[in-house]
Amino acid sequence: MVGVMVAVIEVSKAALGFLPNIELTSFWIILFTLFFGWRILLVVPAFILIEGAVYGFGLWWVMYLYAWPLLVLTVWLFRAQESVWFWSILSAVFGLLFGFLCAVPYVVMGAIDGGLTGGLTAGFAWWVAGIPWDIAHGVGNFVLMLVLYRPVRMAMKRAAGCANGKKQEDC
Amino acid sequence: MENKSADKSKKTLIAGLAALVVLISVLAVIFIKFREKPVEGSKSITIEVVDKEGESKAYELKTDAEYLRQAMEEAEGLTFSGAESDYGMMVDTVNDLTADYPTDGAYWSFYVNGEYCNYGIDTQPVADGDAFSIVYTID
Repeated sequence: MVGVMVAVIEVSKAALGFLPNIELTSFWIILFTLFFGWRILLVVPAFILIEGAVYGFGLWWVMYLYAWPLLVLTVWLFRAQESVWFWSILSAVFGLLFGFLCAVPYVVMGAIDGGLTGGLTAGFAWWVAGIPWDIAHGVGNFVLMLVLYRPVRMAMKRAAGCANGKKQEDC
Repeated sequence: MENKSADKSKKTLIAGLAALVVLISVLAVIFIKFREKPVEGSKSITIEVVDKEGESKAYELKTDAEYLRQAMEEAEGLTFSGAESDYGMMVDTVNDLTADYPTDGAYWSFYVNGEYCNYGIDTQPVADGDAFSIVYTID
């Protein structure tokens, strides 16, 4: 099950790779956290490791170490929510703030070279340059969640039942 | 009772959507106000390429390019290629020399006036007098 979840994320990511900052990774991580509970604790590290192995363990990879776990934690805190609008808005906010979250390593790198002010300036410049992509990311996340949440949720409920030990004939 | 609950949900939804619109607007304003604006007009710049052996080759050019990618395209004799990404081209090959990170831990570093570039080549502004360096680097 964990392998299938990682594969779904990776295949979706590759399939939408040609669309700038339109991704299904947030969508799947949110849904998997909601429906498969603790298994996401294996899925996210596996996904992060695969991404590093495929694209190289650069500075961008450091961002993945906390950005995706932060999404998992946020979803887990709000796991009682069932509204499609709630998850669409949360997914959109995550997309909109993704660049902001990812600026942290640039602040640290800049601070090493130029002190705290230099770090903040470098991080701010990096974040601002990527804002149009963050807006595309947020809008994309919102629309994808709005369209896919209900149909995928139905399938997930069934799959989660099977994964959690439901009788095979009910799956 | 049901009507009250539906009204509350509706209000929460409207508040959520409004917050989203506000957040997008704030981001747009920050971008418009603080983005690094390119200098327009004729600019003299140099682009230096340092290869695997540490040998450098300099290209001097006058350009109206707003961003580094266009200036690199204009530099006679300089060739480059790479994969297009969300943040523009990720250069992996310069003057037929490929930096293969997964195999060698190698990549092309970009500097402007001695400082590491904060932007990709598609968004790195070009100013008059800028000296760019493209350096084959191994981690």
